Amino acid sequence: MKVDIESLGTFNKLAHEGAEAATASLTQMTGIDATVDVTKITLVNREEVGEELEGRNFAGVQFGFAGALEGETVLLFDAESVGTITDALMPGMDESMAESGVKEIGNIMMSGFIDGWADYLEATIDHSPPAYIEGAGSSVIPEPPTDAEYDQAFVFKSEIEWVGESVNFYIYMLPEYDPLAGLMADHAANQDDAIPIDKLGVFNQMTTQGTEKAADNVEMMTGIPTESEVSRISFAPIEDVPKQIGDDTYVGTVVEFTGVPSGFLMVLFDEQSAVNVAEALMPTESPGEGLTDQHKSAIEELGNIMTSGFVDGWANVLQTSVEHTPPKLVHDMGRSIMDPLAAQVGQHQEHAFIIDSEMKTDEIDFRSEIHALPNEQELRQALEDLRVDRADETDADVEKIFEQ
Amino acid sequence: MPDVLIADDSEFMRNLLREILEEDHNIVGEVENGVEAVEVYKEQHPDLVMMDIVMPIRDGIDATDEIKSSNPDANVIMCTSVGQEEKMKEAVRAGADGYITKPFQKPSVMEAIKDVVPS
Repeated sequence: MKVDIESLGTFNKLAHEGAEAATASLTQMTGIDATVDVTKITLVNREEVGEELEGRNFAGVQFGFAGALEGETVLLFDAESVGTITDALMPGMDESMAESGVKEIGNIMMSGFIDGWADYLEATIDHSPPAYIEGAGSSVIPEPPTDAEYDQAFVFKSEIEWVGESVNFYIYMLPEYDPLAGLMADHAANQDDAIPIDKLGVFNQMTTQGTEKAADNVEMMTGIPTESEVSRISFAPIEDVPKQIGDDTYVGTVVEFTGVPSGFLMVLFDEQSAVNVAEALMPTESPGEGLTDQHKSAIEELGNIMTSGFVDGWANVLQTSVEHTPPKLVHDMGRSIMDPLAAQVGQHQEHAFIIDSEMKTDEIDFRSEIHALPNEQELRQALEDLRVDRADETDADVEKIFEQ
Repeated sequence: MPDVLIADDSEFMRNLLREILEEDHNIVGEVENGVEAVEVYKEQHPDLVMMDIVMPIRDGIDATDEIKSSNPDANVIMCTSVGQEEKMKEAVRAGADGYITKPFQKPSVMEAIKDVVPS
């Protein structure tokens, strides 16, 4: 089954417009001025859906939908913002009325979200009555639809920013895999730029293996047990790509890789993680406060080794070579690091696939993110060339090669 | 003690290799790119070159090719984070005698050296 870039773009636009309609409903009801920041389609392992929500509490509504599209959808508010929203709707509500208020806001918002899809598909999409939900982290996300054939799920996610406040709302839509893939294939306008969707899933698995390899490399260099946490491939308009990393300050490396595919790869640490992991790498404690030149040199080499761990598997499975430039050290806001790279990639494409991975360790304060921004056309070529039966052959046998 | 040249653009990695090797080897130079690696090799004729692949100005495979062309008996171990099969084949074609992937620990480095430069 194949989907073309245009239909992926159309489906992303539908989700974005749905989120805008939902947000407009919220503004109309409460006077809260909110805007849709990012909408993206993500292909992610089932058990990792909603991992990015860990450590926070949410309230919201959930309902199922059926018809032209089938699945579950959920609207989430940060728990601390619920009072503000219900106060804006009707000041002085008691707890049960507030819950009912959230349900009703959610119901109206989500109807707006779904209606655009039904109109585009010229079909009906029914949804169940809304159920109020609250909880911590990914527990608020419904189980992705089960499908015996696929370990991965498509997730449509919109982040909605409350203007002037550091509060985000999220809409997750988890459609069943086969009906969605079928719809996207049916709406493919141009087979010339079509992507074999099953191979995209295989590529995602290779990315997971690449992240595990990068985590192993960190562990071997630092002695700190490091786990690969999340790995996913997303699709979004190119102008939305920098927003996904946000405004936090990062230290890390950027490389440009060439081959099939070409693109950019970033290995990023928050500042404290950078200091902690660099200290673990160095035989003696670095003199000086904060991030020193010795720390930066260690991070540069770690970024280099993690980059290789990440992309080598692609090269070995695709039986090609992926070259990369020496790592360039970056220390800036995430969005500022990504902006010029997205601009460069955006010269040739309107949408981008973004490959994101995260790893962490429990022993010290350490988190790292890897973001890859491949050239869309070349990624498509790589997927065409990908032999699924080689998907596990990410490691090269150096001894065998040198014996030949 | 065998003379060793270390070619790696990472100061961190050069330090690490020096610490691993200096007890049993004479470090004759540390360079940051392939151009310098070829220059220092031709001046010093070390017994062994520990060569990174991804370096600015000139990469390690290219530099290995020139070193081996000028002296087929030169000993070069690729010491790199690149674990791609095609890249390893390129290194073999350029004449590399061994290949260690980063991250590494002292025993794997010493073993690779023992295979290439028997004491």
